Amino acid sequence: MQLALIPEPDRLTIQVDEKRLDAAIATAFRDKVRSLIGNGGAAVTLDLSGVDFMDSSGLGAVIAIFKSMPAGRKLELTGLTPNVARVFQLTRMDTVLTIRPGGCAAAAGAPQGGGE
Amino acid sequence: MSPGIATGGQYRLRAVPPGRQPMLHRIFRADPMTVREALVFLHDRFDGSAGDEVIARLELAVAEVLNNISQHGAQHGALPLDGRPHAPLVHLCVARHTGGIACAVTDDGRPLPSTCLEPAALPYAAPGPDSPKPPDISALPQAGYGWFLIRELTASLSYFREGRRNFLAFIVPVNDPLPPADADDRSQSAG
Repeated sequence: MQLALIPEPDRLTIQVDEKRLDAAIATAFRDKVRSLIGNGGAAVTLDLSGVDFMDSSGLGAVIAIFKSMPAGRKLELTGLTPNVARVFQLTRMDTVLTIRPGGCAAAAGAPQGGGE
Repeated sequence: MSPGIATGGQYRLRAVPPGRQPMLHRIFRADPMTVREALVFLHDRFDGSAGDEVIARLELAVAEVLNNISQHGAQHGALPLDGRPHAPLVHLCVARHTGGIACAVTDDGRPLPSTCLEPAALPYAAPGPDSPKPPDISALPQAGYGWFLIRELTASLSYFREGRRNFLAFIVPVNDPLPPADADDRSQSAG
Protein backbone atom coordinates (compact mmCIF):
# COMPACT_ATOMS: atom_id res chain seq x y z
CA MET A 1 0.00 0.00 0.00
CA GLN A 2 1.71 3.16 -1.22
CA LEU A 3 0.74 6.21 0.83
CA ALA A 4 2.76 9.39 1.34
CA LEU A 5 2.25 11.49 4.48
CA ILE A 6 2.64 15.25 4.33
CA PRO A 7 2.28 16.61 7.88
CA GLU A 8 1.62 20.32 8.31
CA PRO A 9 1.05 22.23 11.55
CA ASP A 10 -2.75 22.13 11.35
CA ARG A 11 -3.33 19.49 8.73
CA LEU A 12 -2.33 16.01 7.65
CA THR A 13 -2.33 15.27 3.93
CA ILE A 14 -2.33 11.64 2.86
CA GLN A 15 -1.33 11.20 -0.76
CA VAL A 16 -2.49 7.95 -2.30
CA ASP A 17 0.22 6.62 -4.62
CA GLU A 18 -1.78 3.69 -5.96
CA LYS A 19 -2.98 3.79 -9.57
CA ARG A 20 -5.93 1.52 -8.83
CA LEU A 21 -8.15 1.81 -5.77
CA ASP A 22 -9.98 -1.45 -6.38
CA ALA A 23 -11.23 -4.63 -4.70
CA ALA A 24 -7.67 -6.00 -4.54
CA ILE A 25 -6.54 -3.32 -2.07
CA ALA A 26 -9.67 -1.58 -0.74
CA THR A 27 -9.64 -3.21 2.71
CA ALA A 28 -5.90 -2.71 3.25
CA PHE A 29 -6.24 0.89 2.06
CA ARG A 30 -9.11 1.59 4.47
CA ASP A 31 -7.32 0.08 7.46
CA LYS A 32 -4.02 1.82 6.72
CA VAL A 33 -5.57 5.26 6.29
CA ARG A 34 -7.67 4.81 9.43
CA SER A 35 -4.59 3.99 11.48
CA LEU A 36 -2.72 7.00 10.07
CA ILE A 37 -5.62 9.30 10.90
CA GLY A 38 -5.70 7.88 14.42
CA ASN A 39 -2.27 9.39 15.05
CA GLY A 40 -3.72 12.87 15.32
CA GLY A 41 -3.86 16.15 13.42
CA ALA A 42 -6.87 18.45 13.25
CA ALA A 43 -7.85 18.23 9.62
CA VAL A 44 -7.08 15.50 7.10
CA THR A 45 -6.85 15.73 3.31
CA LEU A 46 -6.91 12.59 1.22
CA ASP A 47 -5.19 13.41 -2.07
CA LEU A 48 -6.40 11.04 -4.82
CA SER A 49 -4.58 12.71 -7.73
CA GLY A 50 -2.46 9.60 -8.29
CA VAL A 51 -5.49 7.30 -8.62
CA ASP A 52 -6.47 6.50 -12.24
CA PHE A 53 -9.17 3.93 -11.50
CA MET A 54 -11.59 3.44 -8.61
CA ASP A 55 -14.45 0.94 -8.33
CA SER A 56 -17.25 0.61 -5.77
CA SER A 57 -14.90 -1.21 -3.38
CA GLY A 58 -12.64 1.85 -3.39
CA LEU A 59 -15.67 4.07 -2.94
CA GLY A 60 -16.79 1.93 0.02
CA ALA A 61 -13.34 2.27 1.59
CA VAL A 62 -13.44 6.07 1.23
CA ILE A 63 -16.93 6.15 2.80
CA ALA A 64 -15.70 3.94 5.65
CA ILE A 65 -12.81 6.36 6.27
CA PHE A 66 -15.24 9.31 6.43
CA LYS A 67 -17.44 7.39 8.86
CA SER A 68 -14.54 6.60 11.17
CA MET A 69 -13.36 10.21 11.54
CA PRO A 70 -13.24 11.09 15.24
CA ALA A 71 -15.72 13.74 16.36
CA GLY A 72 -14.50 17.27 15.78
CA ARG A 73 -12.04 16.38 13.01
CA LYS A 74 -12.59 17.09 9.35
CA LEU A 75 -11.75 15.00 6.30
CA GLU A 76 -11.75 16.22 2.73
CA LEU A 77 -10.88 14.70 -0.64
CA THR A 78 -8.86 16.43 -3.31
CA GLY A 79 -7.23 15.74 -6.67
CA LEU A 80 -10.02 13.68 -8.21
CA THR A 81 -9.05 12.41 -11.68
CA PRO A 82 -11.92 12.08 -14.21
CA ASN A 83 -12.41 8.33 -13.60
CA VAL A 84 -12.56 8.80 -9.84
CA ALA A 85 -14.82 11.86 -10.11
CA ARG A 86 -17.23 9.82 -12.27
CA VAL A 87 -17.81 7.26 -9.51
CA PHE A 88 -18.54 10.00 -6.96
CA GLN A 89 -20.90 11.72 -9.41
CA LEU A 90 -22.80 8.61 -10.49
CA THR A 91 -23.41 7.66 -6.85
CA ARG A 92 -24.20 11.32 -5.90
CA MET A 93 -21.48 11.08 -3.27
CA ASP A 94 -20.11 14.37 -4.62
CA THR A 95 -23.12 16.00 -2.91
CA VAL A 96 -22.51 14.25 0.41
CA LEU A 97 -18.74 14.08 0.99
CA THR A 98 -16.40 17.07 1.18
CA ILE A 99 -14.49 17.34 -2.09
CA ARG A 100 -12.10 20.21 -2.69
CA PRO A 101 -11.20 21.09 -6.26
CA GLY A 102 -7.49 21.00 -6.93
CA GLY A 103 -4.75 18.48 -7.26
CA CYS A 104 -3.45 17.84 -10.73
CA ALA A 105 -6.68 17.03 -12.53
CA ALA A 106 -9.58 18.50 -10.53
CA ALA A 107 -12.95 17.36 -11.86
CA ALA A 108 -12.79 19.44 -15.01
CA GLY A 109 -12.72 16.53 -17.45
CA ALA A 110 -15.48 14.64 -15.70
CA PRO A 111 -18.76 14.14 -17.53
CA GLN A 112 -22.08 15.65 -16.59
CA GLY A 113 -24.15 12.92 -15.03
CA GLY A 114 -24.50 10.39 -17.79
CA GLY A 115 -26.35 7.11 -17.78
CA GLU A 116 -30.09 6.93 -18.11
CA MET B 1 -3.08 2.77 -30.41
CA SER B 2 -0.66 1.69 -33.09
CA PRO B 3 -0.99 -2.03 -33.71
CA GLY B 4 1.10 -1.83 -36.86
CA ILE B 5 4.35 -1.17 -35.03
CA ALA B 6 3.80 -3.52 -32.11
CA THR B 7 6.57 -6.06 -31.94
CA GLY B 8 7.11 -6.82 -28.22
CA GLY B 9 5.57 -10.01 -26.87
CA GLN B 10 2.99 -8.31 -24.68
CA TYR B 11 2.08 -5.78 -27.34
CA ARG B 12 1.70 -8.42 -29.99
CA LEU B 13 -0.86 -10.20 -27.84
CA ARG B 14 -2.80 -7.02 -27.28
CA ALA B 15 -2.55 -5.60 -30.77
CA VAL B 16 -5.58 -5.55 -33.03
CA PRO B 17 -4.87 -6.27 -36.71
CA PRO B 18 -5.40 -3.27 -39.00
CA GLY B 19 -8.97 -2.85 -40.10
CA ARG B 20 -10.40 -5.10 -37.41
CA GLN B 21 -12.40 -4.11 -34.39
CA PRO B 22 -11.04 -5.28 -31.06
CA MET B 23 -12.40 -8.41 -29.41
CA LEU B 24 -11.42 -10.18 -26.25
CA HIS B 25 -11.98 -13.64 -24.80
CA ARG B 26 -10.38 -14.52 -21.50
CA ILE B 27 -10.90 -17.35 -19.00
CA PHE B 28 -9.79 -16.82 -15.42
CA ARG B 29 -10.57 -17.38 -11.74
CA ALA B 30 -12.41 -14.46 -10.16
CA ASP B 31 -9.91 -13.53 -7.47
CA PRO B 32 -9.13 -9.83 -6.98
CA MET B 33 -5.61 -9.74 -8.44
CA THR B 34 -6.57 -11.78 -11.51
CA VAL B 35 -9.61 -9.54 -12.01
CA ARG B 36 -7.31 -6.52 -11.86
CA GLU B 37 -5.03 -8.01 -14.52
CA ALA B 38 -7.99 -8.82 -16.77
CA LEU B 39 -9.29 -5.24 -16.48
CA VAL B 40 -5.91 -3.75 -17.39
CA PHE B 41 -5.76 -6.10 -20.38
CA LEU B 42 -9.32 -5.13 -21.37
CA HIS B 43 -8.48 -1.44 -21.18
CA ASP B 44 -5.36 -1.85 -23.31
CA ARG B 45 -7.15 -3.99 -25.89
CA PHE B 46 -10.04 -1.52 -26.39
CA ASP B 47 -8.08 1.70 -25.94
CA GLY B 48 -8.65 3.86 -29.00
CA SER B 49 -11.64 1.88 -30.31
CA ALA B 50 -13.99 4.47 -28.78
CA GLY B 51 -13.63 7.68 -26.76
CA ASP B 52 -11.62 7.56 -23.54
CA GLU B 53 -14.76 8.08 -21.47
CA VAL B 54 -16.49 5.10 -23.09
CA ILE B 55 -13.50 2.86 -22.43
CA ALA B 56 -13.41 4.05 -18.82
CA ARG B 57 -17.13 3.25 -18.44
CA LEU B 58 -16.54 -0.18 -20.00
CA GLU B 59 -13.73 -0.91 -17.55
CA LEU B 60 -15.81 0.20 -14.56
CA ALA B 61 -18.90 -1.80 -15.60
CA VAL B 62 -16.89 -4.99 -16.17
CA ALA B 63 -15.02 -4.37 -12.91
CA GLU B 64 -18.27 -4.24 -10.95
CA VAL B 65 -19.58 -7.43 -12.56
CA LEU B 66 -16.33 -9.30 -11.90
CA ASN B 67 -16.09 -7.99 -8.32
CA ASN B 68 -19.57 -9.33 -7.65
CA ILE B 69 -18.58 -12.76 -8.89
CA SER B 70 -15.37 -12.62 -6.86
CA GLN B 71 -17.10 -11.51 -3.65
CA HIS B 72 -20.40 -13.39 -3.79
CA GLY B 73 -20.03 -16.14 -6.36
CA ALA B 74 -17.98 -18.74 -4.51
CA GLN B 75 -20.00 -21.90 -3.89
CA HIS B 76 -20.62 -22.69 -0.24
CA GLY B 77 -18.48 -25.60 0.78
CA ALA B 78 -16.35 -25.41 -2.35
CA LEU B 79 -13.04 -27.16 -1.81
CA PRO B 80 -10.10 -24.81 -1.43
CA LEU B 81 -7.72 -24.78 -4.37
CA ASP B 82 -4.09 -24.68 -3.24
CA GLY B 83 -5.28 -23.55 0.15
CA ARG B 84 -7.19 -20.61 -1.30
CA PRO B 85 -10.97 -20.33 -1.70
CA HIS B 86 -12.17 -21.81 -4.94
CA ALA B 87 -13.08 -18.67 -6.90
CA PRO B 88 -15.61 -19.09 -9.73
CA LEU B 89 -14.23 -19.66 -13.22
CA VAL B 90 -15.14 -16.73 -15.46
CA HIS B 91 -15.38 -16.53 -19.23
CA LEU B 92 -15.26 -12.90 -20.38
CA CYS B 93 -16.12 -11.98 -23.99
CA VAL B 94 -16.06 -8.39 -25.21
CA ALA B 95 -16.52 -7.11 -28.77
CA ARG B 96 -16.80 -3.67 -30.32
CA HIS B 97 -19.97 -3.29 -32.40
CA THR B 98 -21.76 -0.42 -34.04
CA GLY B 99 -23.49 1.49 -31.28
CA GLY B 100 -21.78 -0.18 -28.39
CA ILE B 101 -19.29 -2.50 -26.84
CA ALA B 102 -20.97 -5.85 -26.20
CA CYS B 103 -19.96 -7.84 -23.12
CA ALA B 104 -20.81 -11.39 -22.07
CA VAL B 105 -19.69 -12.72 -18.71
CA THR B 106 -20.32 -16.28 -17.60
CA ASP B 107 -19.26 -17.98 -14.37
CA ASP B 108 -19.80 -21.22 -12.47
CA GLY B 109 -20.56 -19.51 -9.16
CA ARG B 110 -23.75 -19.33 -7.18
CA PRO B 111 -26.88 -18.10 -8.98
CA LEU B 112 -27.35 -14.35 -9.15
CA PRO B 113 -30.13 -13.27 -6.75
CA SER B 114 -33.03 -11.92 -8.80
CA THR B 115 -33.06 -8.72 -6.75
CA CYS B 116 -29.78 -7.73 -8.42
CA LEU B 117 -31.61 -7.53 -11.73
CA GLU B 118 -34.45 -5.34 -10.58
CA PRO B 119 -34.07 -1.66 -11.40
CA ALA B 120 -31.30 -0.53 -9.10
CA ALA B 121 -31.50 2.36 -6.69
CA LEU B 122 -28.76 3.96 -4.67
CA PRO B 123 -28.42 2.25 -1.28
CA TYR B 124 -28.99 5.56 0.53
CA ALA B 125 -31.27 8.60 0.17
CA ALA B 126 -29.22 10.94 -2.01
CA PRO B 127 -30.03 14.66 -1.84
CA GLY B 128 -32.64 15.55 -4.42
CA PRO B 129 -35.93 17.38 -4.87
CA ASP B 130 -37.59 15.14 -2.26
CA SER B 131 -34.84 15.33 0.34
CA PRO B 132 -32.62 18.37 -0.18
CA LYS B 133 -30.74 17.75 3.06
CA PRO B 134 -27.60 15.64 2.64
CA PRO B 135 -27.77 12.39 4.60
CA ASP B 136 -25.78 11.92 7.77
CA ILE B 137 -22.39 10.53 6.81
CA SER B 138 -22.41 8.17 9.79
CA ALA B 139 -25.49 6.46 8.32
CA LEU B 140 -24.07 5.92 4.82
CA PRO B 141 -23.80 2.31 3.67
CA GLN B 142 -20.29 1.22 2.66
CA ALA B 143 -21.45 -1.28 0.06
CA GLY B 144 -24.34 -1.81 -2.32
CA TYR B 145 -23.19 0.62 -5.03
CA GLY B 146 -22.00 -2.00 -7.52
CA TRP B 147 -25.30 -2.94 -9.18
CA PHE B 148 -26.37 0.69 -9.22
CA LEU B 149 -23.21 1.53 -11.20
CA ILE B 150 -23.71 -1.43 -13.55
CA ARG B 151 -27.23 -0.16 -14.29
CA GLU B 152 -25.99 3.39 -14.86
CA LEU B 153 -23.15 2.37 -17.16
CA THR B 154 -24.82 -0.30 -19.31
CA ALA B 155 -27.82 -0.97 -21.53
CA SER B 156 -29.69 -4.13 -22.59
CA LEU B 157 -28.66 -5.97 -19.44
CA SER B 158 -29.84 -9.58 -19.54
CA TYR B 159 -29.24 -12.65 -17.42
CA PHE B 160 -30.02 -16.32 -17.44
CA ARG B 161 -28.74 -19.39 -15.68
CA GLU B 162 -28.12 -22.59 -17.55
CA GLY B 163 -26.88 -25.69 -15.81
CA ARG B 164 -24.23 -24.61 -13.37
CA ARG B 165 -23.35 -21.33 -15.06
CA ASN B 166 -24.53 -17.74 -14.83
CA PHE B 167 -24.77 -15.84 -18.13
CA LEU B 168 -24.81 -12.04 -18.01
CA ALA B 169 -24.78 -9.87 -21.13
CA PHE B 170 -24.90 -6.11 -21.61
CA ILE B 171 -23.80 -3.26 -23.84
CA VAL B 172 -21.78 -0.19 -22.99
CA PRO B 173 -23.25 2.37 -25.40
CA VAL B 174 -20.98 4.22 -27.84
CA ASN B 175 -22.04 7.32 -29.73
CA ASP B 176 -19.09 7.74 -32.06
CA PRO B 177 -19.07 5.68 -35.25
CA LEU B 178 -16.87 2.64 -35.67
CA PRO B 179 -13.32 3.50 -36.69
CA PRO B 180 -12.99 2.86 -40.45
CA ALA B 181 -12.36 -0.78 -41.34
CA ASP B 182 -10.59 -0.01 -44.59
CA ALA B 183 -7.35 -1.89 -44.15
CA ASP B 184 -8.49 -5.49 -44.45
CA ASP B 185 -6.21 -6.17 -47.38
CA ARG B 186 -3.19 -5.19 -45.33
CA SER B 187 -4.01 -7.43 -42.41
CA GLN B 188 -2.31 -10.39 -44.08
CA SER B 189 1.08 -9.09 -43.03
CA ALA B 190 0.06 -8.34 -39.45
CA GLY B 191 1.28 -11.63 -38.04
